[in-house]
Amino acid sequence: MNKLQKFASLALALPLSIALAACGGGATAPAPTTTSAAASGPKSGTVTVWCWDPAFNIYAMNEAAKIYNKDNPDVKINVVETSWDDVQTKLTTLAQSRETKQLPDIFLMQNNAFQKNVINYPEMFSDFSKSSVDFSQFPAGVTAYSTVDNKNYGLPFDNGTAVLALRTDVLKEAGFTADDFTNITWSDFIAKAKVVKEKTKKPLLSNTSGSGDMAMMMLQSAGASLFDENGNPTISGNQALLKSIETYKELVSSGVLTEVNSWDEYVGSFVNGNVAGTLNGVWILGSVQTAKDQSGKWAITNLPKLDGVTGATNYSANGGSSWAISSNANYELASDFLAKTFAGSKQLFDTILPSSGAVANWLPMADSSVYAEPQEFFGGQPVFQKVIEFSKQVPKNNTGVYYYEGRDAVSAAVTKIINGTDPAAALDEAQKTVEFAMK
Amino acid sequence: MFLLPAALLIGAMSFYPMAQAFILSLKTGRGTRLNFADPLWYNYQRLLQDDIFKLTVQNTFVYLIIQVPIMLVIALILANLLNDRNLRFKGLWRTAIFLPCAVGLVSYSLVFRTIFATDGLVNDMLMGLHFIDSPINWLGQTGTARIVIILGLLWRWTGYNMVFYLAAMQNLDYSTLEAAKIDGAGPFKTFWYVTVPQLRPMILLTAILSTNGTIQLFDESWNLTQGGPAYTTMSMSHYLFELSFQKNPNFGYGAALSYVILIMVAILAAIQMKVGDKRD
Repeated sequence: MNKLQKFASLALALPLSIALAACGGGATAPAPTTTSAAASGPKSGTVTVWCWDPAFNIYAMNEAAKIYNKDNPDVKINVVETSWDDVQTKLTTLAQSRETKQLPDIFLMQNNAFQKNVINYPEMFSDFSKSSVDFSQFPAGVTAYSTVDNKNYGLPFDNGTAVLALRTDVLKEAGFTADDFTNITWSDFIAKAKVVKEKTKKPLLSNTSGSGDMAMMMLQSAGASLFDENGNPTISGNQALLKSIETYKELVSSGVLTEVNSWDEYVGSFVNGNVAGTLNGVWILGSVQTAKDQSGKWAITNLPKLDGVTGATNYSANGGSSWAISSNANYELASDFLAKTFAGSKQLFDTILPSSGAVANWLPMADSSVYAEPQEFFGGQPVFQKVIEFSKQVPKNNTGVYYYEGRDAVSAAVTKIINGTDPAAALDEAQKTVEFAMK
Repeated sequence: MFLLPAALLIGAMSFYPMAQAFILSLKTGRGTRLNFADPLWYNYQRLLQDDIFKLTVQNTFVYLIIQVPIMLVIALILANLLNDRNLRFKGLWRTAIFLPCAVGLVSYSLVFRTIFATDGLVNDMLMGLHFIDSPINWLGQTGTARIVIILGLLWRWTGYNMVFYLAAMQNLDYSTLEAAKIDGAGPFKTFWYVTVPQLRPMILLTAILSTNGTIQLFDESWNLTQGGPAYTTMSMSHYLFELSFQKNPNFGYGAALSYVILIMVAILAAIQMKVGDKRD
């Protein structure tokens, strides 16, 4: 009997204590930041930050902390590594349970997801109107991602300008230089890439199958979007989109683009030297440079442009991210920190560029000497200055609230079209899918 | 009296959320701005018009109909082999077959993805043996991607079900098997006419568990193929996750979907009970 009683009390106490422990842990998690002293003097307190890449944005945040600490030694920047998927899931669950107290002061957000989150969960964000950040020092195409109702909710961090990176040694073998791939159209590109493939057996591009990123970059390069300014889908009968997908299909069928199944395979394809180039946001250069044995054999240039589409350019963007201040933040401290680092410190961007490849969106950096330095890995090209030049010419793109729905519907359409479905019919279906999701 | 704490905990942790989810499934709206839908069953009506949902139901049932029977048959055969009294190293075999269950769902999915990559082990092997000339894009085509998912499920869960059968077999009266042998029944006949009928309750249990598990399939769809190409390998639970967390959060609709999954599991379990239970 005694034993049974003990067991019963244990059975009752154990789950309860676990449950209580869980609650207790939750309530104390992010230490509330102490309020700062006078606005002008040195500040104190803790700023908690969520971001995800130790070699990239976490590194940048830590460097920013060092710079800020010189004038404000009592401020502690506490970076919590949180993957992008986790940031999104946490935001959703916290908003859903109205637990804004658990939010960090600052979090990083993918540009493409920014409008969706601000519009769905306005109570999670603080806008930048009361900060000292000067948004005119950022390209309009980039701040547009995080602007809702003319209010800025995000401070652009890394640059998503698209580049075409090519292996110059492979091109040389086929009798080309990187200049032959500059300011060209996609039909030129395919013709030349076929020669490269014939002579060297190497495709010039690779892409994850079922990913619509490549088609999206082509679409944006012509200044077109999946949505109009009012957020209505414009997929069905979108000439620029149709041309983008047809071009992509031709890339695949002519064998100059090889499809792989996962991100690791994609990165592996050019790091291992099986594919002689890649087309993506400039952040991909971080992965390209992991192939130390290929140093000096790479060059970057602008994108091919779509044939016969009005407004087609050689410039586009993919990805990029911006810093957001949460509604739970010590606003004064967090905004001052961001304004003095990511929107005000040349030293910061000069430090993080060579080691992480984080290219600034902050325009004053264009005349920085560090950006103009030739990069040995890219055969002495001043790569980053080029990227900033490209970034000024990237056409604006309407992401709207339903960007991911649109992109995924188009990705599915791309897969179907490659397998032989009529392009116009596949796009009509994608349009219907997105309209259904918006209901 | 002693049941009370457990009952209360189950009530608070399981039934209360279920009731909440049902109420949620009657609401509609984005993010936190949820309102009761008009009509109340709007989300359920919407499911019937959702082509992607229909596709995911179809995918899930393809997995269910192909994978569950194959798995249970293999598990039965393996259990029968291991139950042989003359078999040596029994513990070793049993552990080896059960071990996949101890592997994390995500990690095994990642390993399968690597093995079936375009430049992965399987393609290298087939090319080396000259069965194929160029690599097969296993995960990039609907048919082969589904096969890979089914193979993954077989590898992961067969041993798990086998242990159930093995446990049941060890409770069988050995004299029944001996009697069959004396009556001149071969190993197959003994298995089919003596062992299997006695295992019926266990087979029913594993069938319900596996059906339930397959309908709620998530990790394989998410990690192996991301639901691609073009949604043709996505499972229902994966779609539910996508609706709630990846796209514009539509929790009302997601909750409705989860209730439909619950109803499907309940109906299938009821059918299996009806068919499998012949105790009277």
